Amino acid sequence: MAFLEIAGLKKRFGSVEILKGIDVDLEKGGFLVLVGPSGCGKSTLLNTIAGLETITEGEIRVDGRTINDLHPSKRDIAMVFQSYALYPNMTVAGNIAFGMEMRGVPAAERQKAIDKVAKVLQIGHLLQRKPSQLSGGQRQRVAMGRALVRDPKLFLFDEPLSNLDAKLRVDMRIEIKRLHATTGTTIVYVTHDQIEAMTLATKIAVMRDGEVQQFGTPAEIYNNPTNIFVADFMGSPAMNLVPATIGGNGSGLSVVLQRDGREPISLPLADPPAGLSAFQGKPVIFGVRPEALTDPEGAERNASNIATADCHIEVIEPAGSDTFAVTNLGGKAVVARLRADAKIQPGTVTPLAFNLTKAVFFDPATENRIL
Amino acid sequence: MSVIATPARQRTGVSARTVNRIVIYGLLALFALFYLMPLFVMLVTSFKTMEEIQNGNMLTLPQAPTFEPWAKAWGETCVGLTCAGIKGYFWNSIKMVVPAVLISTLLGALNGYVLTKWRFRGHTLVFGLMLFACFIPFQSVLLPMATILGSLGRFGVTLRNATGLSFGLGNPTVNLVFVHVVYGLGFTTLFFRNYYEAFPTELIKAAQVDGASFFQIFRRIMLPNSMPIFVVTVIYQFTNIWNDFLFASAYAGTGDAMPMTVALNNVVNTSTGVVEYNVNMAAAMIAALPTLLVYVVAGRYFVRGLMAGAVKG
Repeated sequence: MAFLEIAGLKKRFGSVEILKGIDVDLEKGGFLVLVGPSGCGKSTLLNTIAGLETITEGEIRVDGRTINDLHPSKRDIAMVFQSYALYPNMTVAGNIAFGMEMRGVPAAERQKAIDKVAKVLQIGHLLQRKPSQLSGGQRQRVAMGRALVRDPKLFLFDEPLSNLDAKLRVDMRIEIKRLHATTGTTIVYVTHDQIEAMTLATKIAVMRDGEVQQFGTPAEIYNNPTNIFVADFMGSPAMNLVPATIGGNGSGLSVVLQRDGREPISLPLADPPAGLSAFQGKPVIFGVRPEALTDPEGAERNASNIATADCHIEVIEPAGSDTFAVTNLGGKAVVARLRADAKIQPGTVTPLAFNLTKAVFFDPATENRIL
Repeated sequence: MSVIATPARQRTGVSARTVNRIVIYGLLALFALFYLMPLFVMLVTSFKTMEEIQNGNMLTLPQAPTFEPWAKAWGETCVGLTCAGIKGYFWNSIKMVVPAVLISTLLGALNGYVLTKWRFRGHTLVFGLMLFACFIPFQSVLLPMATILGSLGRFGVTLRNATGLSFGLGNPTVNLVFVHVVYGLGFTTLFFRNYYEAFPTELIKAAQVDGASFFQIFRRIMLPNSMPIFVVTVIYQFTNIWNDFLFASAYAGTGDAMPMTVALNNVVNTSTGVVEYNVNMAAAMIAALPTLLVYVVAGRYFVRGLMAGAVKG
């Protein structure tokens, strides 16, 4: 039995359905990231777990106990808010101890708990300051301290890093990951940043319009997206989604990509998904991640199905660690990821290697993956 | 736009701006003088002897400054038929104003808290009706309120006969506190609602997760972070209630509970012998001092608080 179980969860505001039946579960010590664009219901879902929003239908269980109607303070959870929500009138120590104070924990015990958490987060020197005297990263730490001190069954994070600058965000991301590894707590984490989702999660739920689009490990989500939305949302730079047709010549299938003013590229598929044969002669969406589209020398050597085709390079974007080349296929800009020192010039025609083992196909009508 | 024309225009621009400044500040100074004139006359007159007032110019400074008019106003002057100064009435006002201000402010804060952070169906309607209370003219509530206060007084008598305690019902000071609290609620609610509208809701959520109750959140989170609007509301309520004459004269216009404003009116209207302008002025100054004091002490929060409420909400 999973540690956190959410079954058939629905949330309606009047006639508007915000959450349309969510089924998610998480093992003890797991790290679940709810990711999706703004308004997809991920924060609402987190608030229902916290008990800050009521639910219309369904069930939430933590460690086998149904917590649907419990007050937030009785759920044995702790939450870190996007704005940190530190009480401005209290010192850092006061902030961390407020929950214990409300539960009537004696002062000596509170002090002991504060000191312990301050040590873990290295905020001992800040304890007597007010939140207004702290930097963004320090506030973030205090907010985490306030959650940690409760030693709860479940940690909830609501976009905790979105108010930090880029550098600090990466540092704090690593810190959260380390904290998770050392304390072994169970975490539910909301973000709209797919990199945070990929790096932190043991399980990801990609959400859109109040529905879970896909639920799985980061690798599953990244390599085997169930539909175009997930494929497009996860990964940076985003997966190339190119309109294509499926050609066949008796022995095997191939994917045919249109090019401007020249004859189409036809790439033979060595091991096409079973469902693809039904699409012979029909349009599909061909999905290939930039790292699966590279210069022939940089292509993965042990991939079983690599096809090379000449492409007209329109733009080069050197990013330091990689060089991105933009070409045009099927009427769309397609990004290829090359080695940093790849000798390539814009405006030239260069062979690019397609790693078709990693390619995915979608039905343009349903937007679902063809398996 | 020629090269030569530009500096020339700049020069005339600067001088025109200087002239503008002079005109603006000159006018402002003039208005300020005009506005401060009565205060000045009151102040200097209150330190003059009667002799000097009868002989001299209103605007001259006192030749032999004396505190006697102030002492007389405080301790000896006649209010109606009793001649024990205004000190008793001053305390009457304090006894009435302090509870009225505190109760109406706290209730307004509580209303604002509920109307923004514990919203219920129809909260906008309730707020709209409370706002409406701000626009009801004083005069129109005089008679209905008198009826209500009368009923409360009778109920107080019944209560005293039954239990030995009237809980202040029927006491004119309590009546005035009640009237001012009811009348002030619309304003205090408006102030606090607009302030709390911009108050981060995540703080309330965090406190809920921490296990704080409705009133614990109010007392520990909302109130300590409401200083600016608290000061605004206290100044506003204090000034209004202290200066109120209509309710004071209608519900406590005679007898021992008479507030300062009514007493001052009686001092000035007492027509026995010479009109003691210096004493009258001193009495008026004493009556005005508390509001002045409140403003001076808390004034710097006033503007800040007004702005805080205005930006969002």
